[in-house]
Amino acid sequence: MDNIIEVKNVTYEYVDDNLTHSAVKDFSLAVERGSFTVILGHNGSGKSTLAKLINGLYKPTKGDVIVDGMNTKDELYETEIKRRVGMVFQNPDNQLIASIVEEDVAFGPENLGIEPDEIRKRVDESLKAVDMYEFVKSTPHHLSGGQKQRIAIAGIIAMQPDCIVLDEPTAMLDPKGRKEIINTILKLNREKNITVILITHYMEEAENADRVVVMNDGAIIADSTPKRIFSDVEMLKSVGLDVPQTTELLYSLKKNGFDVSTDVISIKEAADAIEKALHLEEK
Amino acid sequence: MSLLKVNNLSYAYSGATPFFNDALKDVSFNIEKGEIIGIIGHTGSGKSTLVQHLNGLLKPNSGEILLENENIWDNPKEIRKVRSKVGLVFQYPEYQLFEETVYKDIAFGPKNMGIADDEIDKCVRDICAIIGVKEEHFNKSPFDLSGGEKRRVAIAGVMAMKPEIIIFDEPTSGLDPKGREDIIEIIKNYREATGATVIIISHNMEDMAVIADKLLVLNKGKLEMFDTVEKIFSNRVKLNSIGLDVPIVTRVFDELIKRGVDVEKDIFTVEKAIESLKKVKAGDSNA
Repeated sequence: MDNIIEVKNVTYEYVDDNLTHSAVKDFSLAVERGSFTVILGHNGSGKSTLAKLINGLYKPTKGDVIVDGMNTKDELYETEIKRRVGMVFQNPDNQLIASIVEEDVAFGPENLGIEPDEIRKRVDESLKAVDMYEFVKSTPHHLSGGQKQRIAIAGIIAMQPDCIVLDEPTAMLDPKGRKEIINTILKLNREKNITVILITHYMEEAENADRVVVMNDGAIIADSTPKRIFSDVEMLKSVGLDVPQTTELLYSLKKNGFDVSTDVISIKEAADAIEKALHLEEK
Repeated sequence: MSLLKVNNLSYAYSGATPFFNDALKDVSFNIEKGEIIGIIGHTGSGKSTLVQHLNGLLKPNSGEILLENENIWDNPKEIRKVRSKVGLVFQYPEYQLFEETVYKDIAFGPKNMGIADDEIDKCVRDICAIIGVKEEHFNKSPFDLSGGEKRRVAIAGVMAMKPEIIIFDEPTSGLDPKGREDIIEIIKNYREATGATVIIISHNMEDMAVIADKLLVLNKGKLEMFDTVEKIFSNRVKLNSIGLDVPIVTRVFDELIKRGVDVEKDIFTVEKAIESLKKVKAGDSNA
């Protein structure tokens, strides 16, 4: 299998109040090139630490993180790893630096020393990829949260990364903004074949992922397809996570003696399952 | 008797540009004592602007706000009294923690109201007991607490002033599911213990279906609808037209009805959904 990211037996420790804590413990994860992985976990489960380990912002205390064959501990690869693995953070306002959208998107490629003609091309292409081209000359501060976050993503794409890690990119957005971001991420994954690692605690956002990894106390406690993960309502609740209301509904029905499957996410699937259960009763 | 009455409230931010539509246009409504009101609407629909009028942080360009039948701006010098009667918990309230200890932070509001020290102590302890701030945290720095705990302390600081109306501006944003559940629980407990009137701005329709009595729907600064949760959520077409939606469970039931399955209309919570489907099941087996 072609893995773009390999996290091998990584422990990351930090010192707070003279006490050593480990944010992730003996953690291993391989991410396949071109895949869409969602990482779920409550606050403090180690998700963000993992994200920062993957693009080399943090270096492992023990173990290794290998990005496309390069070890993040090797200073020689520092810049190249950060170009290949782009990061998008929670707060869009903290990620935009220029006063014009196109300048903001150009900032990354400029720092890589790319030719002006090529930068122009990349800026336009990146803005088109996130459906924000019409705002090329706008001021970021007049845009909505979802639009700002898409500009931040365009800035990452302009560096032509192989992988994007998004750390709760929708936590501060309203439902419309959240939908915009999720659609953008899906498009980048499906059309540009960019590997996506999405960290979130909104379960609905995991619906279209290839794989869902659930973290608790710095370790993986579940790793499977979205449907399999969601059907285990008790496991998710035990680590302070939630399920989509569709799954919640079917889970409650099952507890109340209905013969329904709980591995559903969409409205249509939920209606299918209920309809089927009611017809069975009739027979 | 109406506790809070808003008549023809209009507001535009000074220096408004073509980019700014965050204003209020001729908004009128009436809130009774003890109600839980949810305010829903898009970002930019005027939700935050509206609630900042209710405790006198913003002054209307035209129209009036009557609190217990008195215009809150009749005597502008007394506007601070309004602020202790109508408490406002901002979005991300933990950013406003500043005292050395949790206890001092919670006591700050009542102290500013000029309440006697022993009375303040009672306010703080009462509130902490209701919403679960542990006494062992009292002497800690609020900055040493986890995100969820910080928010709990910040909310306690507003509750300690014993406001008659308490307003929450997106109280669960940025929290994980457990944190969101905790905050909803806190609001419910506070409401039960004090009988206070509660106003909540939220994007989460599923939460609103469980907690609110009435919903106030804003769209582009105008009051689109103000009615019981049942009435609002049974008007899906109108909600959709302004970019909002009904709870997920309601959408599942709508889909079932569309397919001709004989289930009840107007189901907004999982609890009601189960009850309804049990009835269908029982009806079938009797037939």
